[in-house]
Amino acid sequence: MRYGDTVRKTVQAMLEKGMVDEVLAFVRGVDERDVVPAFITDAAEAEKITVASYQPYSLASILADYGDKGKKIGLVVRSCDARGVIELAKRNQVNRDDIYLIGIECYGTVNPANAKEGEIYIFHDAMEVGGKKEALDESLLSANCRRCEYPVPGMADISCAIDGDGAIANTPKGEEMLAAANLKSQGSTVDASAMKERAARWQDKDFPNLGTDRQERLDYWLRQFDKCIKCYGCRNVCPLCYCKDCALDADRVWVERGRMPPPRLFHLTRLMHIADSCLNCGQCEAVCPMEIPLTRLYHQLHNELRSIFDYESGINIDDALPLGTFTEEEMKAGGVELG
Amino acid sequence: MTTAAFRPKILAFLCNWCSYAGADLAGVSRIQYPSTIRVIRTMCSCRVNPQFVTKALLMGVDGVLVLGCHPGECHYIEGNMYTRRRVIALKRMLEVLGINPDRVRLEWVSASEGTRFADTVESFTATIRQLGPNPLRGG
Repeated sequence: MRYGDTVRKTVQAMLEKGMVDEVLAFVRGVDERDVVPAFITDAAEAEKITVASYQPYSLASILADYGDKGKKIGLVVRSCDARGVIELAKRNQVNRDDIYLIGIECYGTVNPANAKEGEIYIFHDAMEVGGKKEALDESLLSANCRRCEYPVPGMADISCAIDGDGAIANTPKGEEMLAAANLKSQGSTVDASAMKERAARWQDKDFPNLGTDRQERLDYWLRQFDKCIKCYGCRNVCPLCYCKDCALDADRVWVERGRMPPPRLFHLTRLMHIADSCLNCGQCEAVCPMEIPLTRLYHQLHNELRSIFDYESGINIDDALPLGTFTEEEMKAGGVELG
Repeated sequence: MTTAAFRPKILAFLCNWCSYAGADLAGVSRIQYPSTIRVIRTMCSCRVNPQFVTKALLMGVDGVLVLGCHPGECHYIEGNMYTRRRVIALKRMLEVLGINPDRVRLEWVSASEGTRFADTVESFTATIRQLGPNPLRGG
């Protein structure tokens, strides 16, 4: 038995029964450390889907860029991508009704560039490298994954365990999907609170204390921004940066063509545009050739805003975007703070 | 630079319908207030894109004041509701980045509140004097 059999079985059944026209998932690339995204239309090809713990692209952003409009599309997603799809649907970039989210439990992913030899699977308390079980080495995981609070993709239609045949339907659509694959909805045995503890521990470690040492923090970030070579990689991979016409394009208003490094406003603009919904998917940081720790900045600000606006991004499609809405009470309340 | 010699430069965004008229009233009523502010008139306080504020701070302005109509009194009904949430988010961003969020202040000033306008400018100027020059000045 291979890991992710539940996922492959579900995808195969959905394609055979015509529930979806195509499925977007990662398949094995040139070797065991390489996965590539692929649209799968033939049920026989579902075998190729891999759930190895790599996440080199955001499938949500690939869906928004290349997914056929009007077709029914299945996605094999980790929590960050499931949340990305929901955030994009909220912004009318994709139609949630046409999308079937097949979630896989995820306890962290590894950047293939830093990976050891052999295919890696990360579990909540162990990892498997090239077929051998080892103790989990947290330093191997991507920094954003260590801070992740969503090991189980409860916002997807179904969430499947990596190991074994656990699969839970989270929505009525999910129940149809499991029924199509003849699977029972049965829970996972993993204790999610241990993952929350890990997330809290790393967030404490990664995020500087607010309220003290402002100058130090400012110097640090300005130094980071000045490393930028304006490759636009962070913008291009970000699942939430979907605008066709971007304010940061050269010779619009803010960014002058041919000047290096770009104005610091470049990063602050993206920060302001994204932070209320940042998914902590880590793509911006992974793609950055200058190794600017962008996700850390976005994630910290997102956590701050999450508590102020009581908004959790990518969980519920009906939650309005915090900066594009207001309440009746706010209309009546004086003062410049909320509540 | 000593505090006594430090003259803050403050950028003020005033909404056309309330705060600008409030500033006008302060002027015609000859109410005295510090000449530290440079005014930009916008049609609504929600026209103030957070980028405007950030850019001003990056260019070395010591403080940014955003003034709009009182809640429920916006000429465009709800513009200032968005401003409020936006400025809250912007201030958190500045804090995370390491810029003192007190360098940005949002206040509501109506067309009849000339005194309130003068008081706001005065107290904000005092705050900025205390904070000292913008660390980004000249950078």
